[in-house]
Order: sequence, then structure tokens, then C-alpha cells
Amino acid sequence: MDIRRMITYGLATASLLVTSGNLFAQGLSGKDSTSTQEVAQTVVTMKPGETNFMMVGLTTFGFINQSVAQTGAPTLKTNSMGDADRYEFSPMFLWRHGDNLLVEFEPSWNGSSLGVNWADVSYFAAPGVIARCGYIVLPFGIYNKRLAAGWIDKLTSDPIGMDVAGTDFGVELEGGLPIGSTKISYDVSLTNGFQLNNDGTVTNGFLVAQNNGKTVCGRIGFLPFSNSSLEVGVSGLYGAVATPAGATFTNTNPSSTAGPTVSMYALDLDFVHNYNPIQINIKAQYSATMVNSMNYTDSLTPSLSFTNTITDMFGQLSIRPSKSNNKIIKNLELAYRYVNYVTPKNSAWGQNYTESDIALDYWVSWRTVLKVGYEMIKQNGTSVDNTEGFVNNTSTNTNNLIIQFSTEF
Amino acid sequence: MRKKIAVLSAICLGLVGVITINGCIESKRVADKSGAQLWSENCQRCHNTPAPKTFSDEQWATIGMHMQTRAQLTNTERDKIVEFLQSFNHFN
Repeated sequence: MDIRRMITYGLATASLLVTSGNLFAQGLSGKDSTSTQEVAQTVVTMKPGETNFMMVGLTTFGFINQSVAQTGAPTLKTNSMGDADRYEFSPMFLWRHGDNLLVEFEPSWNGSSLGVNWADVSYFAAPGVIARCGYIVLPFGIYNKRLAAGWIDKLTSDPIGMDVAGTDFGVELEGGLPIGSTKISYDVSLTNGFQLNNDGTVTNGFLVAQNNGKTVCGRIGFLPFSNSSLEVGVSGLYGAVATPAGATFTNTNPSSTAGPTVSMYALDLDFVHNYNPIQINIKAQYSATMVNSMNYTDSLTPSLSFTNTITDMFGQLSIRPSKSNNKIIKNLELAYRYVNYVTPKNSAWGQNYTESDIALDYWVSWRTVLKVGYEMIKQNGTSVDNTEGFVNNTSTNTNNLIIQFSTEF
Repeated sequence: MRKKIAVLSAICLGLVGVITINGCIESKRVADKSGAQLWSENCQRCHNTPAPKTFSDEQWATIGMHMQTRAQLTNTERDKIVEFLQSFNHFN
């Protein structure tokens, strides 16, 4: 090949490469332009993808000096750095996706076992409408959902029986709606529901439903004042109760084939107001749980017939000179609570339980508190036998001196 | 007679409906509330009012959603409270 031909071929190849490169680049450029527009349009119409993951949580621990005096038994005194009712370590994991989705998960260790307080997904569907599913706290009363955390509780223990509705698997719808200068809140749930035990107690929180009936629960709250200082609420729950395999209880009416049902109602009140320099804080809740009459059994008594109704109430008052000019006094809070819990007479677990608690709290910060409390508990047994320790006509007096620390982290 | 009762009932229900729907608009007094006011009124219903600068802007948004599920705050209340608390993160 002579030199002229080589130059010609070389130039032709080079021009071909340049031309094709230009054409390719133009092609790409053209596609890029279109693609960018498409992508831009897609991005504009996409929902925000911002996420945030965070961990908060709470812990409560302390010292308990306990004295238990039971009829016919020597007084038992113990000192402990914690007990099952007053120790908790519960980190709470929150994951937010945009403005509409929130995942909440709170495992909890009580010193001996690890449980889960709730694990759910909330979708903020519209103003005043939040839909939730998962393992949810039932909307029954105000205590369980709002006041049970140790750093929120003004006293050193939870009032007994307030977790009767508990936590269960299901769906929930809730929200707050303004009505003029007042406000209402609603919260309804549909869950797997309860199972009736042979002794007449009920339990829930089953991942797989124990029957086809579901439990409906709901609460309506009304805040009559524009400053939200007062809230009154009414709650209700109804559901068919599952009968476990091997159940030994029977219907009190032999000809009836109707299964057991549970119904509950509750009334609650929440009042917080600042009367300078004092803050007054009142909380109260009354609830009743009714399971339709069955003949129950326990290990000592083959047939128990009783009215299966539980009543439970607490009322508490706390005062805090939060606007005092004194740095120490403004962080002190004095709290008192009365609790009454009555379980069915002539059942295996019948008792009339009363408790008076008093506590002096020192708020180290808005979410950290040191409490010194004294609890006086009286349990009068109304049980038909001694299966669960509440023998008829016996009484147990328990006094607890508690020094407790609680914080939200 | 039944027809009259039915008509009266329908009128009453209609009136209640109109009043309810009309009432669902928050009053000016409530609408004008600042985030600071809503923060001091609503948080203390359950716990002490949270200190600003406790969380970052993103975390306050998450906490706001969590608290809305607990206290059934309205969206407006939540947004105003969150904005108020976030605003402290931008002061030195």
C-alpha cells in the first residue's frame, strides 16, 4: 500500500469515527434531554422520600422497702433495688417516611423478661385521620396510652388493672377534630380479641385469632375549653370471646349455644391548669369489664358460678409550684392517688383492692424525675378458694416505701 | 302524624348536621394560636412541656407525629408546635 492510499484510508477512518462519534453524541444528547424532562416530571410527581430514624425510650428503677402483713401470717419485710412492677427499660424506635408514614416499635425489659409494648405502622391519611395497623395499644381510657410511662407517671407504680384492655393485633383509626373553640378526638380499633380462661379471666394479644369474632374498641374524647385544659372521655369495647381448646367452663344456661362475650366501658377525666404559681393536675379513670355468665372451674373447685364483672378506678391529684421563682421549689411536685379494684366475689381471684399512694417528685429536667413515694395497699379476699391467694375474709396489708428514678432518653 | 314526626326528625337531624359541619371549622380564637401557646397548653396535658433544642429539626418532625398519635392533636396543632420547637435550633 502506498503512502497516499494509507493517508486516504486514515482520513476516511478518522472522519468516520468523528462523524459517528458526533452522531452518537447527538443521539445521546437528544435522549438525555428527553430523559431529563421525564425524570424531572417523575421526580416532581413523586411523594417525598425523606426519612428519619431515631431512638428514644424510657427507664425506671429504684429502691423498694416493702412490708406485707397477711391475716394469720407473720409480717414479711423486704428491701430490694427493684421489682417486677417498678423496673423498666424500654427503648422506642421511630422511623418516619415523609409526612405520612410512621413506624413505632417499643421493646421492653422488665428485669426478667423481654416483651414488646407496641409495634405498629401509622399512615397519616388526611387531617384528622390516622390509620394504624400492627400490635397496638387499645384505645380504652387514657392511662395505658398516655400516662403509663415512668417519667410521665407522678406516682411510683401504675394503678392496678388499668391494662385490662391491653395490647392486641389489629387496625386502628384515630384523629383530633376542632369544633369551634372546642375539640373532639376519636380512636377506634378492630382487633383479634380475647380468650376466656377456665377461671373466668380473659387474655388477649394473640397474633392468630382464637375465633372468627373480632373485638371493637373505641374512645371519644371531648375538650370543651379552647385552652385544652380539660378532657373528658368515654370508651367502650365489645367482642366475642374465644373458647380455648380443652376449656372446662360451660354456659350457665345449658340449652344456650351462645359463646361468651366481653364488654367494657370506661370514663376518664384529665384536667391540667396553671393557677399562678401552682399547676393543678387531675387525672381519673373508671372502668368496668363484664363477661357474660358462665360456670367456671379451677384446680380446687370444679364449678364456680359468679357474676364476672371487674370494676376499676383511680383518681389522682398533683400540685406543682412550677412558676415559683425558687429554683428548687419550682421543680417539686406533690402527688396523691387512690385506686380501687374489685374482682368477682366467689371467683378464684376475688378481691377488693384499695391503694393510697403519695409521692414527692423532684424534676431534674422536663423528662427526668426522682420520686420518693409511700404506698398503702389493702386487699380483702373474696375468693371462693385459695387458688390465687385471696381467701375469703382474709386481708393483706402492704406498705411500700419507694425511691425511684425515671427518665426519658 | 307519623309523617309529621318523620319530617320534624329530618329537620332536626339536618340542623344538627349543619351545626356540626359548621362547627367543625375551628374558631378564630383557636386558629390564631401560636405554636408557643399550643406547646404550653397541649404537652402538659400528659407530661412536662419539652425543652426546645432537645432534638434536631428532623427528630422534632418525627416526635410530632408520634405525639399526634398519642394525644390526637390536630394537624395544625402538631405543625405549629413542631415549627415552634424547631425554630430554637436556628438560634445561637
